[in-house]
Amino acid sequence: MGPLSRDAWAQRLGAFRASPSAFMAGPEGEDLGRDLLGDLRSENLSEQTKVSLLALSLEYPAQLWPDVSAAEVAATSLLDTLVLLPPRPSALRRPLLLAATTALAAGGALGPTSGASCRLLPLLLGLAAGSDLGRGFVPASEQRPLQATACECLRELESCKPGLLGGSLGLLRGLLGQEGPVQPLSLLLALALRNTLVLQSRVGAGLGGLLTDKVPPTGGGPWDWTLVEEGDGRLQPQAPSWPAAEEGEGERSLTAREHSPEEARELRAAVIQLLDTSYLLTPVAQAQLLWLLGWALRGLQGQPPALFKPQLVRLLGTAQLTLLHAVLALKAAFGEALFTAQDEALLLRRLTLAAQHPALPPPTHLFYLHCLLSFPENWPLGPEGEEAAPLLLGPQLCRGLLPSLLHDPMALLARLHLLCLLCAEDEEEEKGQLPSPRHYLEELLAGLRQRAALDEGPRALATVCFQASYLVTRCLAGQPTVLTPLIHGLAQLYRVRPMLASHFVDFLDQVDSELREPLKVVLRQEVVSRPGRDEALCWHLKMLAKVADGDAQSATLNFLQAAAAHCTNWDLQQGLLRVCRALLRAGVRGGLVDLLQVLARQLEDPDGRDHARLYYILLAHLAGPKLGVALGPSLAPPALASSLVAENQGFVAALMVQEAPALVRLSVGSHGVKGPLPVLKLQPEALEPIYSLELRFRVEGQLYAPLEAVHVPCLCPGRPARPLLLPLQPRCPAPARLDVHALYTTSTGLTCHAHLPPLFVNFADLFLPFPKPPGGAGLGFFEELWDSCLPEGAESRVWCPLGPQGLEGLVSHHLEPFVVVAQPPTSYYVAIHLPPNSKLLLRLEAALADGVPVALRTDDWAVLPLAGDYLRGLAAAL
Amino acid sequence: MAQRAVWLISHEPGTPLCGTVRFSRRYPTVEKRARVFNGASYVPIPEDGPFLKALLFELRLLDDDKDFVESRDSCSRINKTSIYGLLIGGEELWPVVAFLKNDIIYACVPLVEQTLSPRPPLISVSGVSQGFEFLFGIQDFLYSGQKNDSELNTKLSQLPDLLLQACPFGTLLDANLKNSLDNTNFASVTQPQKQPAWKTGTYKGKPQVSISITEKVKSMQYDKQGIADTWQVVGTVTCKCDLEGIMPNVTISLNLPTNGSPLQDILVHPCVTSLDSAILTSSSIDAMDDSAFSGPYKFPLTPPLESFNLCYYTSQVPVPPILGFYQLKEEEVQLRITINLKLHESVKNNFEFCEAHIPFYNRGPITHLEYKTSFGQLEVFREKSLLIWIIGQKFPKSMEISLSGTVTFGAKSHEKQPFDPICIGETAYLKLHFRILDYTLTGCYADQHSVQVFASGKPKINRKLISSDYYIWNSKAPAPVTYGSLLL
Repeated sequence: MGPLSRDAWAQRLGAFRASPSAFMAGPEGEDLGRDLLGDLRSENLSEQTKVSLLALSLEYPAQLWPDVSAAEVAATSLLDTLVLLPPRPSALRRPLLLAATTALAAGGALGPTSGASCRLLPLLLGLAAGSDLGRGFVPASEQRPLQATACECLRELESCKPGLLGGSLGLLRGLLGQEGPVQPLSLLLALALRNTLVLQSRVGAGLGGLLTDKVPPTGGGPWDWTLVEEGDGRLQPQAPSWPAAEEGEGERSLTAREHSPEEARELRAAVIQLLDTSYLLTPVAQAQLLWLLGWALRGLQGQPPALFKPQLVRLLGTAQLTLLHAVLALKAAFGEALFTAQDEALLLRRLTLAAQHPALPPPTHLFYLHCLLSFPENWPLGPEGEEAAPLLLGPQLCRGLLPSLLHDPMALLARLHLLCLLCAEDEEEEKGQLPSPRHYLEELLAGLRQRAALDEGPRALATVCFQASYLVTRCLAGQPTVLTPLIHGLAQLYRVRPMLASHFVDFLDQVDSELREPLKVVLRQEVVSRPGRDEALCWHLKMLAKVADGDAQSATLNFLQAAAAHCTNWDLQQGLLRVCRALLRAGVRGGLVDLLQVLARQLEDPDGRDHARLYYILLAHLAGPKLGVALGPSLAPPALASSLVAENQGFVAALMVQEAPALVRLSVGSHGVKGPLPVLKLQPEALEPIYSLELRFRVEGQLYAPLEAVHVPCLCPGRPARPLLLPLQPRCPAPARLDVHALYTTSTGLTCHAHLPPLFVNFADLFLPFPKPPGGAGLGFFEELWDSCLPEGAESRVWCPLGPQGLEGLVSHHLEPFVVVAQPPTSYYVAIHLPPNSKLLLRLEAALADGVPVALRTDDWAVLPLAGDYLRGLAAAL
Repeated sequence: MAQRAVWLISHEPGTPLCGTVRFSRRYPTVEKRARVFNGASYVPIPEDGPFLKALLFELRLLDDDKDFVESRDSCSRINKTSIYGLLIGGEELWPVVAFLKNDIIYACVPLVEQTLSPRPPLISVSGVSQGFEFLFGIQDFLYSGQKNDSELNTKLSQLPDLLLQACPFGTLLDANLKNSLDNTNFASVTQPQKQPAWKTGTYKGKPQVSISITEKVKSMQYDKQGIADTWQVVGTVTCKCDLEGIMPNVTISLNLPTNGSPLQDILVHPCVTSLDSAILTSSSIDAMDDSAFSGPYKFPLTPPLESFNLCYYTSQVPVPPILGFYQLKEEEVQLRITINLKLHESVKNNFEFCEAHIPFYNRGPITHLEYKTSFGQLEVFREKSLLIWIIGQKFPKSMEISLSGTVTFGAKSHEKQPFDPICIGETAYLKLHFRILDYTLTGCYADQHSVQVFASGKPKINRKLISSDYYIWNSKAPAPVTYGSLLL
C-alpha cells in the first residue's frame, strides 16, 4: 500500500483509538505498525501528521509491535528516520527519541544484544551531555530541548533497567554542576544514584569512583551492562511503599553496607548538590527528588538525614499536595532521626489544617485526612496498617475535621470515621462534658436517617446513611450507648420508609451479630405490628423474609395470614412464599402448616399454589434438620438465573443422595479365630462427623456368600470407634477383594454416597482351628487328619525361610491357634480348617538356621498354591 | 512514581452512555513496570469504553439510580477518598484517582511499585499525590480563562502535545501545563543556564508587580440558644511579577492595621523561598489570644512568569459583616417569613452588589406573595420557588433593613422545583451574596512599601471582599450544625 493521505491517516488513527483491540482484529490491524514506520519517511505527510503517528506509537507500542523482534525492528527504523532528518529544525526529533525509547523499553528489547539499544544509548547520553554529534545532527535551536528530552529518555530506560547508568554518575554530576538543564539532570542523577546504591550494595561493592569519574562510560566502546546484569534486570521501586520497604531486601543490604570515608563524602556532596538546587525544580519534580533521595539514603551509614532539614520548613509552608506527601515520605523513612517530637507535632498541625483549608479542593482534603489517619508516627501505638488517630491528634486539633450534614458523602464518611475514633477514645472520659463527641455522633446519625427517610430523596442519601451506620458499628462495636439508639433509629427509619428494605437486608448481612440480632427483633416487630395491606407490602415481605425466625411465631403468622389476602400478583405471592420458606428453615411448624394449606388452595397464581403445596409436603414429610438443609442455599450453581430453577436445584441437591468423596476410612485389623466362621475385624475412621453410616460390601467373583451391610450410628474424627466385625461365609477357601460403599449423613443433613477403596481378604484371614481334641490325644488326632487327606487330596513339601526369631517365633506369631502337637523348639504339627470344608495340615520339623522344611497335606488341590505362597511369605511378614 | 494512564471524560447525563471520553493517554513503559511490580495482582489498563462505563457506575453518574445494586450501594463499600477500585471484566482496577469538576471527570491510574494484594495504604503510594497534581494541572489549564465550549475543545486538542512536554513517559515533570505551552511556543529561545524549570522564559519590559487580595467570608447564623453563629474569612493573595532577570528576588509583605484580625492557616506558593516560623505556626486550630502574630507577614520569593497565588490564609474576625435573622413559620397553606439584616458599622458600606437569596425547597411553585420591605426590591422566581431581595450598593443610614411577608405555593411538580435533603419542613435558610471592592474584612493590605524588589516601579494593588456560603438559617426550626457551633 502506498503512503496514505493525511485524512486517511486521521481516519485510521481515529478508528484505532476508538477500540484498539477491535481495530487490530480487523483487516487493517496487521499492517498498521509497518505502515506507520514507512510513512514517517514519506515526503507527502506534514510534520504534524507524523507527530500524531508517533504519538500513537508512544501509547500503543505493544499493539503495533507485539513481540521483541518487532520492537527491535521498529526502534531501528525510528532511529534511521531520526538520522535521516535534514539538518534543519524539526518537530520530529523529540517524538522520535521518545518513540524509539518507548518501543525498546515497552517491547522488552532493551539489552546488550539489541542493536537498536546499542545505538540509542550512546546517542542519548551524547545529547544529554550536550556534546557535538557532528554533521549538524542537532540544530543549535533544538540543542537545549533535546538535551532535556534525552535525559528523560535515559531516566525511563534506567527505570526499566536499573543500573544502566551506573557508569555515568560522574558524568551526570559534572553536567549538573555546569550548564546542563537542572531538572532533567537532577532527576536522572538521583534515580541513577539510587539504583546504583541498591545494586552495588547487593553485590557488596562500593561506589568506587563512580561519582567522580567524569569520562563517559562508552568512550566509543560498547555500553557497560555489568551493573544491570548484577541486578538481574530486577525493577527497583523508586519510591517503595512503606511496609514493603521495611522488609525489602535491597533496603536491608543497604543498611548493612558501609562506604569508605571517601565514598561517603562524595555521596554526601552529590546529595547536597541535588538538594541545594532543588528549588529550581517544579514542585512535582522536587517531590520526586525527595522520595528518591529519602529512600536512597535511608539507613545508609555516614549520611545524616539532617541533610534534608534545610528543605523542610520551606516545604511545610506550601499547599502543594506532592510536596507535603514527600515530607510524609521522609517522615516515614527517617522517623525520629529527622523529625523531633516538636517537628512531628508541627507536621501534624500543618496536615490537620491542610485537611480542612477552605482554599484547597475537596479531593485534597480527603487525601490529607487519609494521611492523618495513616500518619507515620515516631512511636506508633496501635497495630500497623490500621487507620487510627495519631496520639498527638487530640480532640482540640480534630474540632474542625468533624462531619456535618452539609458535607458531601465522601467527606462525611471520612470525617465520621475520625469522629468514631474520637468517640472510641472518649469512652472513659467523664460525662457531662459538652458537646460530647458521642452526643454529636448521635445527632448526626439521626440527621442522616432523616434525610434517608425523604420520600423523593435519591438513593445516594439512603446509601450514605447506611454506610455511616455501618462505619459506626465497625468502629464502636461493644458500646451499647451508641448501638442502642442506632437500632431504634433504624427501626424508625424503616417505619417511615419501608422501600429501603434492600438496604436493611444488606445492612443485616454486613454487621456483626451483636447488632444484627437485636435489630432483627425490632424490625420484625415493625413489620408484624402493622396491618399488611398497604402499598409497602412487598417491602414488608422482603424484610420479613430476612428477619423472620422461630421467635414471635404467632404474630408473624397472623401478619402473613392477613397479608395473603392482599397478595394478588405474582411478585407479592413470591414474596409471601419466601417468608414461609424462611419460617420453614427456622423450624416453625405449628401454624405454618395451616397457612401453607390455605395458600396451596387460595393463591391465584398456579405457580404460587404449587410452591405452597411443595412447602407443605416438605414440612409434612421431612424432619427439622433435613428441612433446613433442603431449603438452604442451593448447593449446585443454578443453570439458569431463575429463582425457581435455583430453588428446585436446591431441593434436588438436598433431598437426593449426593455422590461425595469418602469421608470415612476402613482398615483391616487382626482377625479373630473364634466361632464357626472367619470374621474380618474392620477399624473405621471418620474425617468429619458423620451419622447413620451404612457400609455395604460386595465380594468380587462370588467367592463368598453375600455379605450383610454394617451400620454405625455415628462416627467422629478423633473419637475412637469400636471395631466392626464382618463375618465371612466362603464358598471356597480363597482370598478375595471386597468392594466397599458407604452411605451416610453429614452434619449439614445431606445424605452422601461414597465409594471406598477395596478391602482385601487374605488367605490367612480364612483360617479356623479344629476343635481341640481331648488332652494328650493331639498326635493321634493329627495323624488321623493327615492320613485322611490322601488319596483325594494333595501333598507337598515347602521350604519356609526363617527370620532371626527362628521357628518358635514364627509359629507363635502366625500359627499358634492351630498347633495341635508342639515340641518346642523343633517340631510343630499344625491343623487348619478352611471353611467351608477344607483342611490344611502342616508338619514343621528339623529347622535349620535359615529355614524349615514343611510337609503339608490338604484335601483340596486348589489350596496347595495358596498354602505354598503363604508359607514362603511368612518370614517376610514378621 | 508515575502514572499508567490518564483520562478526561465529560459527564453527559441523559445520553445513552452518560458520558464521553474526551481525552486519554496511556504510558506503556509504566504499564510494563506495573505488570512486573504488581505480579499476580496486576490488572491491565482497560480500553476507553469499559473504563468509561465502570467509572461512571462507581461515581454514581449513570442514570440508573432506581434500584439497589449491591456492588455500589452496599453499606460496606465505603469510599473515603477520591481514589476508587473499578470492577472491569471481573477484576478490580485500583487505585483510580478520579473526581468530577464542572461536568468533566478527571481520572488517572498511578503506578504502585509492589503487589496490590494486600493493598498498600494510599499514603505510601507516591504516585497518588502526583496523580492528583496531574489532574489539578489539567483542570487549571482547561479552565483558566476558558469561557465557552469551543475554547474548551481547543484546549483539549492541545493536550496531546502538552503532555508530550509535561509528562512524556508518565512521570509528571510540571503540573503547570501553561509552562509546557510556552515551552512549545518558544522552543527556539536558547535558555540561559540555571533557569528554574518552572520559569520558561524571561520578562522584558517595564517592571511591574501586581498584588490582589481577595477575601471571601462565609458564615452560618442560627440566632438560637445553645448554637453559636460561625463565620470565617478565607483570603487569597494573587501576584503577577513582571520583572527582568532570570531569578529576581522579591519580598512581599502583608500588613494589618492595629486592630486587624491576625492571618492564620497560611499556605504559600512553592516559589516562596523561606518562611518565618510565626507564619508557619499561626493556626486557627488554637484558641485565639492576644499574643497571636499579627504581621507583617513577609514572603521572600522568586516569582514565576505567570500570575500565581502567593498565599492563602484564613482569619477569624470579631463580628460577621452582616448579621441576619430569619424566621419562617408554616401557617396552614402559607409561609410567613420575617427577615432582618444589619450591616456592621465597621464594614465599608459600599457594595458592588448585595442580595439575599431566599429559596423554598421541596415545595411547589410560588402562587401568591404578599410582602413588605424597608429597603431594596424583591424579585420573584415563581417556578423556581425563589425570592431574591436586591439590596443594592448601600445599606441605609440605620444599617438595618427588614423584609416580611407571606408566600403561598402550588402543587409540587418534581421536575421544576428544587429538591433539597436538608431544607425539610420549616428548616430553611437565606443566603447572602455580596461583593465589596477595595476592602478586606481582616484589614489585610499591601502598599508600595510592601514590595521590596531590586527594581523601581509602583506596585498595583487591589483588594476585595466577596461572600461565599453565607447562610442565615430559620431560627424557628432545626438547622444543620457543625461541631464548632456547639462549642460556646
